[in-house]
Amino acid sequence: MSAAQAVVRDFFEQVQAGDVETALALTAPDGAFQAVPLGVKGTIGGEGREFLDELRRALPDLTLRLTRLFVGRDGTAVAEVFVDGTQADDLFGVVNQEKHFDLKTVWLLPVAGGQIEGIRAYWCQNQLYRRLGVKRLDRVTITA
Amino acid sequence: MSATDVVTSFFEAYRNHDTEQMVDLCDLGADFSYVPFEAWGRQRVVRGDGKVCTIGKTFWTTLIDCFPNLSNDVTWITGDDDGNVAVEVSISGTQAKHFGTIGNQGLHYDLPHVFLFHVDEDDRIDDITAYWDGADWNRQLGRIEVD
Repeated sequence: MSAAQAVVRDFFEQVQAGDVETALALTAPDGAFQAVPLGVKGTIGGEGREFLDELRRALPDLTLRLTRLFVGRDGTAVAEVFVDGTQADDLFGVVNQEKHFDLKTVWLLPVAGGQIEGIRAYWCQNQLYRRLGVKRLDRVTITA
Repeated sequence: MSATDVVTSFFEAYRNHDTEQMVDLCDLGADFSYVPFEAWGRQRVVRGDGKVCTIGKTFWTTLIDCFPNLSNDVTWITGDDDGNVAVEVSISGTQAKHFGTIGNQGLHYDLPHVFLFHVDEDDRIDDITAYWDGADWNRQLGRIEVD
């Protein structure tokens, strides 16, 4: 396993363990963060931290399983991550109905000097809405 | 030819709507997974998983038929020494026909995707996995139901 693979694996293990601070210590706080389906752009230390905190708060039993991990010649780690959890609080604007969901996601993480310097995460928000009981895209906060 | 060259050729063929060439760049048994594609029925869920030569070619052909000006713009590509390739690509088109549950309102979409490929030692793609946000796609095409 390369050093870049090791730091990315450690990052997801720390997030799963609920230790967002230790996960963030593996990153560059000023690095670019993007959660593409949410339209969220910012820095890892800002919007990235808020994203991870919300994920952990809303999904106390969160598991993150790496199903593919490789590092491109440009130093970007490519991670497919199977996300699994049960909703216990509002998540990305969706009210809590205590539904269980699983979701395939892909993360692009440029790594340099043993540090994650950027995060771009992709998934299908429609799949997430479907699993959390949302019926209409214009009424995300209304699930009935 | 490098693995990234093979994948670059794949998207060039896609831009040219040359599905035969897209398939020719793949191994006969190449796996195909369009992760966001799910069709929920009463008793089963049909997913976008299968083989390039069956569901893959059918998906591409149908998409091009429904979006006749379908195009793509590769914005980032990387690969390793083991044949793995990742691509960020924006796919766009204007709807001219119903596509699955998405009725035709003549709307245009432009949507970021991530494609993951594996290219074998014979320079053939033997695995394609794609991600996009189906909510954004539906919204751009005027569909708001989550079914």
